[in-house]
Parts: sequence; C-alpha cells; structure tokens
Amino acid sequence: MARDAEAADVIIGNGRIYTVDRARPWVSALAVKAGRIIALGGDAEMKAVTGAGTRVVDLGGSMAMPGIVDVHTHIMMGGQAELYETRFPSTLGVAEICARVAQAASNAVEGSWIVGGQWGVEQLANLNTAAALAALDAASGDHPVLLRDETYHNRWVNSAALRIAGVTRDTADPDKGEIGRDPASGALTGVMIEAASGIVERALAASGHYTDAMDRAALSQSIAVLNSFGVTAFLDAASMQPILAALKQLDDRGELTAWAVAAMPAIEPSFMFGLAGDELFALRETYRGAHVRPDYAKIFLDGVPGAKTAAFHDAYTPDPIHGCCFRGATMLTVPDLVRLVGKCERQNIAVKIHCAGDAAVSQALDAVDVVRSFNGPTALVHHIAHASYIRTSDIPRFAQLGVAADLSPIIWYPTVFLEAHKMAMGEERATRFWPNRSLHESGALIGGGSDWPVIPNPDPWDGIEGMVTRQNPKGDFAGVALWPEQALDLATVIETYTISAARMLGLGRTIGSLEIGKSADIIVLDRNVFEIPATDIAETRVITTFFEGRVVYQRD
Amino acid sequence: MAARPTLVPITVLTGFLGSGKTTTLNHLLRQDGLRGTIAIVNEFGEVGIDHLLIETTEERFALLDNGCVCCTVRGDLVDTLKAIAARRDAGDLPDFDRVLLETTGLADPAPVLHTLMVDPAIGARYRIDGVVVTVDAVNGAATLATYPEAVKQVGVADRLLITKTDLVDETRLRTLRARLTAVNPTADLIAIRDGKVAAAAVLDIGLFDPAARSADVVAWFERAAAASAGAHHHDHCAGDACDHPAHDHAAHGPDDHGVHSFSLLIDGPVEWEPFARWLDYVASLRGEDLLRFKGIVNVAGKSEPVVVHGVQHVFHPPKDLAGWPTPEHHTRLVFIVRDIEPSLIERTLGKFASIDANRIRRPPREGAVHHDHLTTA
Repeated sequence: MARDAEAADVIIGNGRIYTVDRARPWVSALAVKAGRIIALGGDAEMKAVTGAGTRVVDLGGSMAMPGIVDVHTHIMMGGQAELYETRFPSTLGVAEICARVAQAASNAVEGSWIVGGQWGVEQLANLNTAAALAALDAASGDHPVLLRDETYHNRWVNSAALRIAGVTRDTADPDKGEIGRDPASGALTGVMIEAASGIVERALAASGHYTDAMDRAALSQSIAVLNSFGVTAFLDAASMQPILAALKQLDDRGELTAWAVAAMPAIEPSFMFGLAGDELFALRETYRGAHVRPDYAKIFLDGVPGAKTAAFHDAYTPDPIHGCCFRGATMLTVPDLVRLVGKCERQNIAVKIHCAGDAAVSQALDAVDVVRSFNGPTALVHHIAHASYIRTSDIPRFAQLGVAADLSPIIWYPTVFLEAHKMAMGEERATRFWPNRSLHESGALIGGGSDWPVIPNPDPWDGIEGMVTRQNPKGDFAGVALWPEQALDLATVIETYTISAARMLGLGRTIGSLEIGKSADIIVLDRNVFEIPATDIAETRVITTFFEGRVVYQRD
Repeated sequence: MAARPTLVPITVLTGFLGSGKTTTLNHLLRQDGLRGTIAIVNEFGEVGIDHLLIETTEERFALLDNGCVCCTVRGDLVDTLKAIAARRDAGDLPDFDRVLLETTGLADPAPVLHTLMVDPAIGARYRIDGVVVTVDAVNGAATLATYPEAVKQVGVADRLLITKTDLVDETRLRTLRARLTAVNPTADLIAIRDGKVAAAAVLDIGLFDPAARSADVVAWFERAAAASAGAHHHDHCAGDACDHPAHDHAAHGPDDHGVHSFSLLIDGPVEWEPFARWLDYVASLRGEDLLRFKGIVNVAGKSEPVVVHGVQHVFHPPKDLAGWPTPEHHTRLVFIVRDIEPSLIERTLGKFASIDANRIRRPPREGAVHHDHLTTA
C-alpha cells in the first residue's frame, strides 16, 4: 500500500480499457491523481499506488476508453435553444407561429424579449407582409420578438423589436442585407434578410436579454449533453465574445467539464454578430483558462452545396436562377486568405477554414502553401472544415502542408443532405463525398466533428458507425452505402475521434489517449465496440464519463 | 490634362540618441544650401538656432538667415505637412521646394516612411527623397549590438553619416564601416566631424523617385551586389556554382539582429502578374523582416523597365522608367532583410512568380567599390 502522498485518488480497474496508445492498447486498470493518469496496467500493478484514501471504481469488465474529442461544434446554440427559446418546427405557417408566440408571451416576464425559431425558408413570402407583422404584433403583447429561420441567416421580428433596433420605413437596407417590406404597401414586415438580421440581433444583445448567468447555464447545458455522449473536449467553431466569456467564467468556477478550444471568427460571420478579428483576438488572454484555449481563428471561405453557395471547380446542375455554368464563389481571394492566415500565424493562432466545395478546398490549400513557403514549418495545425468534396490531386496536399481535415458534420453516409447535393450537382459528383480513407492513407491528420446543431444531436457513436460502414445508422436509405471504398476500420476511426482530434486541437500531449501524465478523461461504455457487429456501434451508450478523474456524467 | 504638380521631396533625418543627429542638423541649418528648405524639427531649443533667427512669425515657425524656414512638429506629422502646404498656398509661408524632417532618436523609421508613402494627401504634394541616418563612430557599434531599432535605422538608410570620426582611430572606423556595409551595402557612407556635412551630400538623393534617377537604381544594385558578394565570401566559386545553403549564413554577424542584405539577377523577362502576386505575398507574410526592398524589373511585353520598392510591408506603386540605364536588361532585386535567406526568395520566386531557379543568379563579384566621401563642408 502506498503512502498517502503517493497514493492515487481513484483507481479504475477490472475493465477492458482501450488506451489508444499503440505501444500498449489494452490495460485492465489505471490510477488517477490530481486529475492525471499516474499508472496503467494490470489490476495487481495498482496496489503500489493504492492508499487508505484511494477510491476504487470496479468496471465489472466493461470497456473504457479515452474521452471523445469533437473538433467542430457550436457550443452555445444547443443549450440556448433548449433553455431559453420558443422552439417550433419549420413547417409552421404564420398563424401557428403567432400562436406559439402568444403562448410564450403569456409565460414571459413583462417586457422581456421572446426569442425563438426556426421558421422554414419556404414561409418567407407568407411572413413578408404587413398583415403577417400585424398578426405577430397582436400575439406578442408588450414583448419584443425575434424569430430565427432554419438557416440562421434570416429573422422575423415584431414591431417592438424593430422600434428598439431603430428600424423605420426610412431605414436603408444594409450592405448584403435586406429589410423586408410589404410588396403592396412598402410597409415594414419584420422580415430581416442576411445582414439586416444583425441590426436586430445587436439590439437584442444590447438589451442585456442574455445575462452572464444565462450564457453560463446554456453552455453548461450543452456541455452536459456532450458529456452524456462521452465527449470531454471540443472546439467551438465560431466563438463570439459572450461564448468566450461564459467558458472562462465556468472554468474559473471549476464548472467546465470539458476541454474547450475556441475558434474566434476572423471576420464577423453572416449569422452571428459582435466583435471579430483583431478586436476579438486582443481578448484572447483575458479568456484563456485552465481548460479554455482561444487559440484558433475561424474563416468562412464559402457556403453550402445544397444552396449552391459552396465553391466548386465544376459547374452545378443548370437551373433557372443560376443558369448553366454556375460554380459558386469563395468569399475571399487566395491573397486575402494568405494575409489572414499570415496575420493569425504572427499571433500564434491556427485557422479553421470553412470549405464546403472542392474549389474552396483547393484555394485554402493554395493559401497555406504560400504561407508555408514564406514562413517555414509551424507547430500550428490549420484545419479545413467540412473536408468533404476534395479533388483527388488535393488529397495528398493535406499531409504535405500539415493541414488537418475536420470531418464534420457526421454525415459520411446517405442522408437528406446528400439528396440535396445530388439535386445540386448530379449523383455521380455528389456521392464522391467524404474521401476519409484516402485522406487517412495519404497521411493527413483527420478528426471527427459534429457541427452541432447542424445535426440535431452531437452523438459521436452515430458518426463512428457511419465512418466504418458508410451506411445510414438509423436505417434510412437501407442497403445504400456512400462511396463504400472510403470506409475505415474501427481502430482508425476511434483514433480519428480521440488522439488525432486531440492533436488537431493542439492538445495531443494532454488528452486523446490514456497514458501516464495525460488527463484522466475516460469514458465507460455499455459494450465492447470491437466485439459487436459494426451496424450496432451507433447503439453504444456511455455509462460513465470521467473528466480529470471526476465523474461528470453517470447514466441512470 | 492638368500638369502633374512637382512633388516636394522630403529628406528624413534620423539616428539614435547621442549619435550626433542634432549637431548635424544644426550644421545643416546654417548652410546656404538650405535656402528654399523647410526643416521640421522636434524642438527649436534642441537644435540651438536662436542666433540664426531673423524672424519668428509665431511659436512654431521661424525664418533663418539662410532662407530656411524652421518649424516644430506639432501633433501628427501628416497634419503638419498638410498645414505647411496649405500655408504656402495661402502665402503665409515662403515658397519651399524641399523638406528636411527630423525624427526622434528612438523612432523606428519605418512607420514615418509608411505614412509618407501611403497617405494620399501626402502623396499628392510630397515624395520621399531619401533617408539619412547618423551613426556615432564612438558608440555606434555598441548601439547596434544592443538596439535592434538602431540596426533597423541603418537598414533603411540611403546615406549613413558616421559622426565623431575625430574621436576614433582608423582601425575602429574601418570595423564600423564594414559592419554598416554588411547590414546595408546600398547606403553611401559619409564620415563627418563636428556635424559638418554639405547639404548637397544629403539632400536630393532622389532614390525614392525612380523616374528621376534610373541610373541610381542600378548603382544601388551594383553596390549591393559587390558588397554582398564580398561578404558572402564567394571568391572561391563563381556565380551559379555558389548555390549551396552554407552561403546563406555567412553575411551577418551575431550582433546585427539577423539584418543582412543580398541581391539577385534574373535573366529574361518577368511576367508581371505572378511577380506582383509574389510581391504581395512577401509583403504580407514577411513584411516585418523586409527592411528595404528595391528592384528594377524587365517586365514581359514592355520595353521600359519597372521600378519597385518597399519599406517593410508597404510598397510604392511600381513606376515605369524612361529607359534601361544599362545595355543588358536583367531584372535586379536588392533586399535588406532580417532573417530572410536568399534561398527562400529564390524558391518562392520559382513557385509563385513563375521564375525558374536556373534564371536566377547571385551577381558575381564586381569589385567591392564603395562610394565613400569625407566631406568637410
């Protein structure tokens, strides 16, 4: 028995613990002290570090493994929606939306904002009338109302919200935005398109509607969801100031139960509003915490394939709006991107570049190639987010340039997204989607991400199964596999979700595998995923999640 | 079309504290050569010109007996320059055809040059004539070793005035000259005593006005080539054979904070678009380390050469010269840099400017002739 000073706080034993350490993949026990792993091996070997105060957790033969790392999430949105927003399905029309608002108004504190969503884009013409606005005003009582659409790009707000935001009939449309006006009378309708959304979102932020305590609670809610799926580290892929502030506050209170890496937008995104770029980067050290790492910048280079806003080398399928030869376009030129990446590297910030189309991927790689040529090697790991449509000739460039592939969202199997892509560019091109195996075999660092709330829940097990089977784990599109040659074996996929993802986040020495000195972020599973059919992996449930040796989730 | 107004040349005078800048300025202000010059100084008292004053129109302006108008900088440099141009237009100030601008001793000269290069209101009335830097023969070496800013001042200079040369022996002076030449072989070294330098030696340098002095660009290059060839110890191998990386590290000593210079020759015409893109990349990624860059470029499809030059990340708009000053039409590039190796420039020119490595040469040694003056004005 060890003396108390050397004794472990916790011993987790009698398990089948998969370490993701190639030197020693399986152990039956490990010991934790002050949140770090101090010993691994057989149960008998733990005696040396067992003291009088050591707590012993008997896994009863269950499989355990390192906590999962999500390389791409929007951490505030899920919790905020669940706790504070009036939720309704995108199929609702004007009358039904107004009924939901009236109900929310009857429960809300006098004069407070009502925030909700998400209305469907196909409702736009119905919402964009003076009569619809009158109905919304009648439903809202004395509350300003802001309702987001399903794309997060547009808003429908009531007259009280317009008043607070200072929008009148005489207000000019902002650059890259439009203030909705009734086609018949020209009166305001409350519809705010693209950049116009920012006018009301800023008024909402300025109103103090979201307090620090609310932001912390929303984050805690989201992180509790991640913990329940075994996620103990994440990268927030568009960290505005309130998110950074809430992460830091939670961490300082000892309430942050995951490693939080933050990617601060280099340019204000079209759907989130507030400080960005240098002004936000300047606050980095203010918000850095024991577990908060604001060390990434986010750059949006294009849009999404379904809406034909992603940039491709070859043209989309012809349609009446875009004509015959539309390829989409990037939002920045290569020299612009070079300047941005160069600026970030000077501040020791890595970049995550959103590239949904193959031309955007090429340009991002071109820009990093320029930066590497002039700046030489770096320890920073830049990411191409949504590395999904990639020219064959670009695949080896990821490894050559040290660019990591952020594989998110977890849809590397047939889904409704893929159906929309088939419409946009034809089946053959659309199904050359997610060349995960080619990337891996080329030596690229690949990491799994959810892009939550783009997908409704951030369950990595759904993604892990899909990466192995290339089939839809929910049984939709039965019998259909997406580019099955791109399937990977389970051990590789688990690395993708653990050690590789940790390296992508600059945390490869701290998390991602179970080794001496690393954080005791450990998850216990209800099955040994190596001993079940691949089609059952998505059913895997997490029994217990340890973060730094502390139980942060326990399944009932 | 309205005639382009003649731009007023600005000479920037800088130098570390105690380097003799004020004494030099005081000496310059007494000379007849300063007639028609407006001198912008930090403080009248510092310069000690009381006995030269013939008229003080108001606190900030003074007319000296040699016809030089002296003015103290107040607030922003841009505002001061705009104000004096406006006052001249209004007849409040005598006509002037030159500006001599003193900067503070600790100043990094690059931001002042950037302001002069990029501010459109300044560009409409003024052009940079050159940068004159004082270096003290007694303490210069120690200052360079201690302060990276001092090395930077030397790096951007067109004229280096070595002051207090009467206080050191020949050996010490020679060592300092070698040191300065290693950092910036393109600058003229002028050894002076008691601040005595002829106005003509420091004014109308014209290096930032390529249209006026095309031959100077080539001279700049020749000197850089000669000096860097010498400093790189290229004697044992000739031209193209000297390609191995060991040469990249020979030029600069440990005390120069990584500042050194080199030059490149490019055979054959250069496609402008990729070359301009390469310039953009250098400026945006390594601008901080690019103290001074100057090039005369043989652009494909043009019979006249184009001159480009920059200070750190700021580049002057490229200018066409009237014609080639030399019979051969090689592109010549001169770099005064911090921690940038020639191999990086060669590699990136190949990759992004479509210039194959076999077209790029380090110029052969042409005899390390240095344009030294010892003036006793």
